[in-house]
Amino acid sequence: MAQQVVSKKDYIEIRKRPWYVYVIGLLWIGLIGFLAQNAAASAQELEPRAAMVFWVSAAVVLLAGVVIAFLRSRK
Amino acid sequence: MAERVLPKLGRRNFLRTVAVGAGALAIGGSAKTAAAASPAFVAQEFADAAGRSKRPWWVKTVDKPTMEIDWKVMERYSEGSSTRGSMPKYVGQAEVDRYTAAGAKLIKERILGNVDGYQLRDFAMSSAHVGVGKKFLGPQTAPTPESRGVPKWTGTPEEASKMLRAAMRHFGAANCGFTVLDENTSKLIYSKDPDGKELIFTDEVKASETDKQRFIPKSCKYVMAYTVQMSPETMRRSPTMTGGQTTTLAYKRAENIQASVQEFLRGLGYQGLGESSTNALGIAPAFGVLTGLGEMSRLNRMISPEFGPMVRVFKLLMDLPVAVDKPIDAGIMAFCKACKKCAEACPSQSLSFDTEPTWKVRGPWNNPGHKAYFEDSVSCMTYWREKATTNCGICFGVCPFAKKDKAWIHEMVKVGMSVAPFADSFFRSMDDAFGYGAQASGESWWNLDLPEYGIDSSQPVGAV
Repeated sequence: MAQQVVSKKDYIEIRKRPWYVYVIGLLWIGLIGFLAQNAAASAQELEPRAAMVFWVSAAVVLLAGVVIAFLRSRK
Repeated sequence: MAERVLPKLGRRNFLRTVAVGAGALAIGGSAKTAAAASPAFVAQEFADAAGRSKRPWWVKTVDKPTMEIDWKVMERYSEGSSTRGSMPKYVGQAEVDRYTAAGAKLIKERILGNVDGYQLRDFAMSSAHVGVGKKFLGPQTAPTPESRGVPKWTGTPEEASKMLRAAMRHFGAANCGFTVLDENTSKLIYSKDPDGKELIFTDEVKASETDKQRFIPKSCKYVMAYTVQMSPETMRRSPTMTGGQTTTLAYKRAENIQASVQEFLRGLGYQGLGESSTNALGIAPAFGVLTGLGEMSRLNRMISPEFGPMVRVFKLLMDLPVAVDKPIDAGIMAFCKACKKCAEACPSQSLSFDTEPTWKVRGPWNNPGHKAYFEDSVSCMTYWREKATTNCGICFGVCPFAKKDKAWIHEMVKVGMSVAPFADSFFRSMDDAFGYGAQASGESWWNLDLPEYGIDSSQPVGAV
């Protein structure tokens, strides 16, 4: 009796990210850098409320980017 | 059917993302460090033949100032008409006596009560500033080329401007500009100085003064307007003694600067005719506007694109030919139409709430012939004397242009004000939301480790 060999193949799909993902990533980094600069500089300017608003904004943008990137990678 | 195998994305990509985020923060941090630690001292050669600094692109030079002027209506103003020395004329001596007594009583109560910004040390500092004094003709002590047996300095107008700009920075001025007196701009020289002496243009070559008159040679037709920075950190504590002494310090520094430049000109073989006392000789903001140092504003004072209202403006006449400058348009006057923050903050409601500037003056303390936001100087001065017991300055402190230049956002907002005036209301709202212009306590100022004079002298025009 011929033994049937069952071959199991695994496929790994490598998908190249479109160019705009990199652009968005750079914009995201730039925005966080801009907000962080303003936050730190506002503290130097002795403007505590402005510093707080900028730090919170930077944290929100950072977190939003991380969450979006994570969710996209789960697809 | 092929089975899709998902890579182990979660951990790796998550870590990668976090690493990128940390990198962004690092960039932000280093940017901050760069902004803070870099140009503490900047030295570079003047790029312009006349020594004009390279200003940001959004500061445009224009042929006419952003404030309309009707030279036919304008007349020479007597400084004695200002409320500084003429309050009895406007409110009566009895009222002056009343608020003076009320102010004096309040001062004592505040010192004894240790009121914030009105403690004994605040008063002591306020009365501590001294200068060399001001003289129309200057100290007249420097050796002249004649006394040295050498010819006087000669050069092109551009070279003279550049030389003066370098000297003025060295003497302590923030920036300076030049214009020339003609039939119109001569009207900006007072008819009478604060001490009542007449200012008379003469064909004589040498300036002179008597007990009742000061003679200005027509050859002294070149005007130098210059600014002296004020400390934003003390000004934002207005109206306290801590805030009030901000202007006193700037005026005293200007006394030294004026004496220095007068002696410098004398040493070159030329004349420098200065203010004989505070605010003497001519209308400082007007000359500041004509020489391109800034624009007029709702404060009815000059606002500079670089320093906002945190400068005092001074002027000097001289017979050294210089290259003149043009007025500027940086969107400041246009922004004032939408902002009104100073008017809202003014405790005596002395500033105009009108959207558009007007030709109509509020009283004889204003000089007609220009379209401006005229202020009620009487209510302003009464508040100073009776309630603030010092000069006020709230309007300067809350102005959205009164920012330090550390955060990048400020430059972006200034660009926006210049090129997108339709967004001025939005910028004003954001200014409030970010807490700018909030008054600080006088007490806290004594804990601050500030640079000399409380100013950032590494913030010159166009040096970075």
